[in-house]
Amino acid sequence: MTIAAPPRPRVGGRWVVGAFAVCAIVAAVVASTFTAQEAVPGIPMPGPIVAYGLPVVRVLLDLAAVAVVGLSLVPKLLGFDAPELTEPVLRRTRPLTVTAAWVWAVCALLTIVFQTAELNPGGLPTLGMIAAYVDGVGTGQGLLFSAACALMAAGIGLMAVRFGEKVPAELRIIVALFGLLPIPVTGHAVNSVWHDPIMIAMETHVMGAAAWAGGLVATAVFVAPRPSLLAVALPRFSRMATVCLLLVGLSGLITGLGTMALTPGVELPGAIVTSHYGVLVVVKLMLTALVVPLAAHVRFRLMPLIRRAEPTAVVGWVAAEVALMGLAYGVAVAITRASIG
Amino acid sequence: MRRLCVIVLLAFAGVGVALPAQAHNVLVGSDPKDGATLTAAPARITLVFDQAVRQGYAQVGVTGADGTAWADGSAEVAAEKVSVKVKPLRAGGAYVVGYRILSADGHPVTGKIGFTLAADATAVQKDSGTQDPAQGATGADAAEAAANGGAGMAVVWIVGALLVLAAGTAVALRRARTPAPDGDTRVGEAAGRVVTGDRDGDTRGGERADA
Repeated sequence: MTIAAPPRPRVGGRWVVGAFAVCAIVAAVVASTFTAQEAVPGIPMPGPIVAYGLPVVRVLLDLAAVAVVGLSLVPKLLGFDAPELTEPVLRRTRPLTVTAAWVWAVCALLTIVFQTAELNPGGLPTLGMIAAYVDGVGTGQGLLFSAACALMAAGIGLMAVRFGEKVPAELRIIVALFGLLPIPVTGHAVNSVWHDPIMIAMETHVMGAAAWAGGLVATAVFVAPRPSLLAVALPRFSRMATVCLLLVGLSGLITGLGTMALTPGVELPGAIVTSHYGVLVVVKLMLTALVVPLAAHVRFRLMPLIRRAEPTAVVGWVAAEVALMGLAYGVAVAITRASIG
Repeated sequence: MRRLCVIVLLAFAGVGVALPAQAHNVLVGSDPKDGATLTAAPARITLVFDQAVRQGYAQVGVTGADGTAWADGSAEVAAEKVSVKVKPLRAGGAYVVGYRILSADGHPVTGKIGFTLAADATAVQKDSGTQDPAQGATGADAAEAAANGGAGMAVVWIVGALLVLAAGTAVALRRARTPAPDGDTRVGEAAGRVVTGDRDGDTRGGERADA
């Protein structure tokens, strides 16, 4: 079956993945450089390997997690009514889910190593330092928990490779989303009565963003080449994406503004432009605003054609949308670590 | 799908509340104050944050205008106060206090304050750090331990799970490769898969369009 098909001039799935990954990594490095804490006299600072390596590893963690969530969503988007059509797609996504889950777990563990190195500048972190970090700092435990969830997702993914759709798709989605939960704990929070609402907003934000971006990338890469499946899957994804857009936008605003308003010494609205955190919130808001027209074009212009299984340039539009999402993911890496004040 | 979303969100909202997320520390005060001109050399410099600072990672450096280090010993953390003893400072000089502490949320927080010692400053002020840092430290330690719990067992479990899963991955993916009718279910480089997936999908889509 591996007949060499003639190269197509149109934008393929690998462009979508590439755009997402490259934009995320570049944005993470640039935004982290922007928010880097300047060296102060008398204090040793971590070297460039940690300064650039940490955001890269952290964004790879996010990308792998998005991939796991997106790939886990594919069976739900395709439906279970026509296995003879969906099975070729799923046979491809299932092993990839396992691989992505492994990458996620490894990146989470690597992030622990890098964060230990960041706290112990000068020299490689020893096992003792890493153990002390995980034992003493909640961020380390959160990442460890995330790695454990990723491994669980890999295990369930393996069962799906072996037994197919007899392993419930919902279970795979839930385990993948569960692994995202500890991630916000590694970011900021506030000490106030608003702690719980803001944490819930943050959890919603992380899960919504992963489902939205992951679902979109998976649809573009694995479903878009099959017009008859896309006619079914895209309307389903579109409904989910609308909910995700609202959830992500709203929860992002609540988290960003709430965190700033409740941090001592920060005065709104001035801090929105003067603090690193505020600028990054504005950047993410602008990226979201840019995604909306692209998403609306796919939703309202292209989808009627796609429903009739007509050829469209949907992958190109999705690639642009996904590139913006990648940028937002990169900025997110910096925002979790930027100083608020 | 909708029911699933609602269940997941409700379940996770509960978990989100239970997770012990902490806030970012912010410097709210110091002794001496930032930019102050002192008439007596301080024996100890204290930085005050809005909430307790984590033990073990705090660093405070006191640097003179010529780059000499004046901190005497390492920083002591007592709840939200981080202090460091200083050697007898020379009168009539500007000093920078740089700090890097581990915030309650696990992020390093870096910053600096500056102060000047007047030219006619008296030798050394009495050590104003009357509080017993050791006592504060144990209290903070206990609070941190209670908040975090141990991680020793988690590591053992994860290492075990890793080994089992690694073996499982190798076996299952090897087995899955053989019966695949396409014969191209390679595992490994994602890029390769995407390429084959694309090409395969195109031909399939074409076939269906013809039929």
